[in-house]
Amino acid sequence: MSQIELINIKKNYMGTEVVKGIDVTINEGEFAVIVGPSGCGKSTLLRMIAGLEDISSGELKIGGKLMNNVSPDQREIAMVFQSYALYPHMTVAENIGFALALKKTDKAEINRRVLEAAKMLELEHLLERKPAALSGGQRQRVAIGRAIVKRPKVILFDEPLSNLDAKLRVQMRTELMRLHREFGSTIVYVTHDQVEAMTMAQKIIVLNNGHVAQMGKPMDLYRDPENTFVAQFIGVPKMNLLRGNLQADVFTLQSGQKLQLDCGYRDGSDLQLGVRPEHLKLELLQPGSGSENNSEHSWTVDVVERLGVESFIHLCNAARDVLVLRLEGDCDLQVDSKVAVRFDCSHCYLFNEAGVRLLPNTAALDLVG
Amino acid sequence: MVTLVRPANEETIMTHHASQRRAYLTLVLISLFCLMPFFWVVLAAFDPKASQFLQIPDGITVNHFWNLLANESGVRWVLNSVGIVGTATLLTLILAGFGGYALSRTQAWWKRPLLYAIILVRIVPPPALIVPVYKVMLFLNEWINNLINSLTSDVAQQVVLSRIFSFVDGYLGLILIQTAMQLPLAIWIMKTFFDAIPKDYEEAAALDGASQWQTVRHVLIPLALPGFAAAGLFAFINAWGDFLMPLMFTSSPELQTLPLGMFRAFLRVDAIDYGFLTALAVIYTLPAVIAFAFARKFLTQTFSGGVKG
Repeated sequence: MSQIELINIKKNYMGTEVVKGIDVTINEGEFAVIVGPSGCGKSTLLRMIAGLEDISSGELKIGGKLMNNVSPDQREIAMVFQSYALYPHMTVAENIGFALALKKTDKAEINRRVLEAAKMLELEHLLERKPAALSGGQRQRVAIGRAIVKRPKVILFDEPLSNLDAKLRVQMRTELMRLHREFGSTIVYVTHDQVEAMTMAQKIIVLNNGHVAQMGKPMDLYRDPENTFVAQFIGVPKMNLLRGNLQADVFTLQSGQKLQLDCGYRDGSDLQLGVRPEHLKLELLQPGSGSENNSEHSWTVDVVERLGVESFIHLCNAARDVLVLRLEGDCDLQVDSKVAVRFDCSHCYLFNEAGVRLLPNTAALDLVG
Repeated sequence: MVTLVRPANEETIMTHHASQRRAYLTLVLISLFCLMPFFWVVLAAFDPKASQFLQIPDGITVNHFWNLLANESGVRWVLNSVGIVGTATLLTLILAGFGGYALSRTQAWWKRPLLYAIILVRIVPPPALIVPVYKVMLFLNEWINNLINSLTSDVAQQVVLSRIFSFVDGYLGLILIQTAMQLPLAIWIMKTFFDAIPKDYEEAAALDGASQWQTVRHVLIPLALPGFAAAGLFAFINAWGDFLMPLMFTSSPELQTLPLGMFRAFLRVDAIDYGFLTALAVIYTLPAVIAFAFARKFLTQTFSGGVKG
């Protein structure tokens, strides 16, 4: 059993609460990713699970056993550090086998298991090298080898790919997923990169300012964000948010543009309309057609980012609203040209002033009922 | 324009070369001036007719060394120096290792004041410390001698124990004083080295299942080796060359260290034996050179590539 339960976990640093009561359950064999911006408490939370930080209050259970006061080596966990933390005076083989050597494991058994881990990570030819003679990706693999050789029930990863270049990061992501599939250990992975979270996780825990902003399956978070923080954190480019008022299912932007929402929301003012870049459509306004001067519906192209397979168009309007729009393939839009934007209202989200998602009346009534 | 510029450049380059040659020549002269005494010492030590002038010897002899080691107490002086300085260096390294690590890792408010207080011991000139230190050592000496007398009534045993454990005119006293004198700088050196060792290594070791002692033994000491080499070298060379403390705290000829032996040999009333003195100087220099050669291997050893970011 290697289920991890965090029950109202809190952490104080000299009177400042950095982790503010977290309740999370990570199931056995699950790949859970804790994601959030810098300073949100994600690394602290991971270090508390590892036993490298004391828990100020709350309970941590691994496999049903209370672990608050159990030393790190007794928790049957392994950790891959952001800095790798490979012992520089030891060879790759010694690094990987260090934990086993400390346990006074038989030398032949150590060699066998080190070789097994090295084969899995394609490190066999590097076993006699020192960490200084390895590339970033190789060091990362040694750090992973050091973690898996112990055959731990839980493996913790603290931003392990943040020091690698973009290409290697993509490669390591797939390797980590393969390793998880082969080992079946419970994995808790901390990152600030939502792409890593979306691609690898079976469960994402989004942290914001020491709280859980939302947790669930990656696509559930993408499709049904509960607040503006999650809405904007998950997804690249982030979800567009536009301020405005809602009356009789018509959302009026600050520029005066009106959008018909057909889901039946309650009226309200100072709301935020959320829409992802892929749910916007673009219409080029012909000069002299008259509609170009209709400032309510007119958006100006600010920046065009061409990525080949897709393009991102940054737009702004007279009311200084900003929108990012995604187009398939290339586009021949020029900066400063005037365009109209059509919203796919079936994919719009509504958030209140505090950033909390509002549900359509019908859903709200259902909940009340 | 072009023809005008080119000769000017060539002239500049030539001037540059000339000034570089002058600089090297000056450096060579300065080096020769500095090396001259060493040449003289080495040549005179093997010269049967050594004098105060630099001269090429007519023949080579090892009589001066033989005289020093066999007829005089040279062997005893060397052994005393090696024993006292070696033990003091070892003690310094152990204490500086613990102290430097603790001072590197603690975040307590007293860290900075304590560090400055430690270095203050180094800043105060040793002669200024002699009177208070002597007073403390005398007090301790009385206590240890009473203890020795109460432990054994055999006078021969009392003499041997007193020679080893006395705080004044005993090995222990000299070792402790040399350790105390070398410790401040060594603690600072070690603290700086431990500052450069990321805490990640210790945390990784803790997760690997290492006890505190195993972390020190397998991770921290190997990583801090260049620091230990630097601190040990400074401590050894400083203590090896120290003249004042052995002079103040020893009186028995049996406890004499090399610098004291050299000083007393020089003070002899009869004619100065330059061959004997230079042989003594060679032996006096050797351990420091050996210590440096030994420490150099570790001093240049750097551990990198373990952490990133």
